[in-house]
Amino acid sequence: MSIRFENLSKSFGPKTVLKNVSFEVATGEILFILGKSGMGKSVTLKHIVGVMKPDEGRVFVDGRDVTQLDDNGLADVRRKCGMVFQHPALLDSLSVYQNVSFGLRTPQYIRSLPRPLTEEQIRAKVTETLRLVNLGTDIFDRYPPEISYGMQKRVSLARTLAPGPTYLLFDEPTTGLDPITTNAVNDLIYELSRKLKVTSVVVSHDMQCALKIADRVLVLDNAGILALQTVPEIKRSREPLIRDFLQETLALLPPEERAELEANA
Amino acid sequence: MSTAKSSPALQGASPLASALLTPIAGTLHEVGSLVLFLKLILRTALTTSGNTPAVLEQILSICQRSLATVTFAGTFVGAIIVLQFNAVLLVYDAQIFLGGLNTSAIVREIGPLMITFILAGKIGAFTAAELGTMRVTEQIDAVECLGTNPVQYLVLPRFLGIVISSLILLALGIMISMVGSTFVATVLCGMNPLQYMSTITRFVGGWTLFCGAAKSFVYGVIVGGVACHKGYTARGGARGVGTAVTQAALYMSLFVILANYFTSNALNWIYDFLAAALGWVNG
Repeated sequence: MSIRFENLSKSFGPKTVLKNVSFEVATGEILFILGKSGMGKSVTLKHIVGVMKPDEGRVFVDGRDVTQLDDNGLADVRRKCGMVFQHPALLDSLSVYQNVSFGLRTPQYIRSLPRPLTEEQIRAKVTETLRLVNLGTDIFDRYPPEISYGMQKRVSLARTLAPGPTYLLFDEPTTGLDPITTNAVNDLIYELSRKLKVTSVVVSHDMQCALKIADRVLVLDNAGILALQTVPEIKRSREPLIRDFLQETLALLPPEERAELEANA
Repeated sequence: MSTAKSSPALQGASPLASALLTPIAGTLHEVGSLVLFLKLILRTALTTSGNTPAVLEQILSICQRSLATVTFAGTFVGAIIVLQFNAVLLVYDAQIFLGGLNTSAIVREIGPLMITFILAGKIGAFTAAELGTMRVTEQIDAVECLGTNPVQYLVLPRFLGIVISSLILLALGIMISMVGSTFVATVLCGMNPLQYMSTITRFVGGWTLFCGAAKSFVYGVIVGGVACHKGYTARGGARGVGTAVTQAALYMSLFVILANYFTSNALNWIYDFLAAALGWVNG
């Protein structure tokens, strides 16, 4: 079971963002999608959950063609895919508790259980999920504008994790965060992916993070795939764009890794 | 209307023709988009389970927020119309008809329009901004990705809230304006309150009330539809939300005025038809 793209093409007006893009995400791996702004990284991710429809091509999740599914089929796929957006995307009118428990009350989730969860079970699940992202129950009754941006990101992650997704999709999860919180979120992605044994696709600009936690890295450029390689291969790459990305991260790397990259360059 | 500027059909047209046709094409494009969006709302309403608590919450919130404005506007609009009608009726020595004429005008025409413009300015703009912000901060995408239909969860309660509230506020506005107009007719126009009210039933019957309610319903659908559509389809950050709200305000006013003309004509036609068929004398 995996995610597979077959000859996906997508244009917005005259601009072609993706053209004949094909790749597969293996079960349990962490795939990083890197690229400059406007190269179709987020667009790629949104095709997995059917929020966007391709002009051509197909996207398979667990063998089901997302592009051909009706509303019920899409809801079923979305239940398996937890998506963390660039913004925290929490509903302002709901408290932290209501936001995190949102996915546990949807008809698709309830249908997947032998019987609906009781309020106590929901409360226990929300508490447990918030603990996974290092947050306590003291923020249950607070509303998104009342907590910091970093906490909102964590709550957003908890909301995604609560229904127990098979796939985790991260759209620039560390954008707008300070370096300390960025590191914490990156560690969290790695731990969660390993601990919960889920397949993760992470869209990011952050090569340092990719080198740290990715199994493979997909680089998008000029509407196509520039590279789809493991981290050691990426480190040895001669592609100018990849070298530019690596160059950006040099100062942030430990001395031994920096020396290795400089030697490759 | 900017969407029509790039319309292939207008490329190659003379500058004058383009200047004339672009706003028309833009308006038609907006009408088409609104009709498709209303179709989506209707389909969602018919195929998904209702969310009655959310609709009631919206109605309560809209009525609460509009109550003060409706009271203020209703009182003064009723008073102003009494003064205007009174000046004309005195010339023809027909002041006795003041109550009937005034109430008929408010129920048929001014009440629905007044409530609609208050709803458009206060609730329509708020709804467009709220949904627009939800769209650009990916809240709507998040709701969709969590397996919930965003039209069912976010749009439908707001749309129904506006439509139902427009009818509730119309009833409230008419009653308040009657109080205001009776007060002015008594204090400034020298009429006895009973004398003022004596002709109301001659001018305002079931059909007149139906006309007011029908117009208010149609305007409510327009305000709710345009506000939700513009907010739901907003793009491009804070500027996109600003554009959505501006366009919502513009199209709500424009479409309500257009709808006023067509509903007035349609209601007159239906009345003539029914009057001929059933032998009605007045409404």
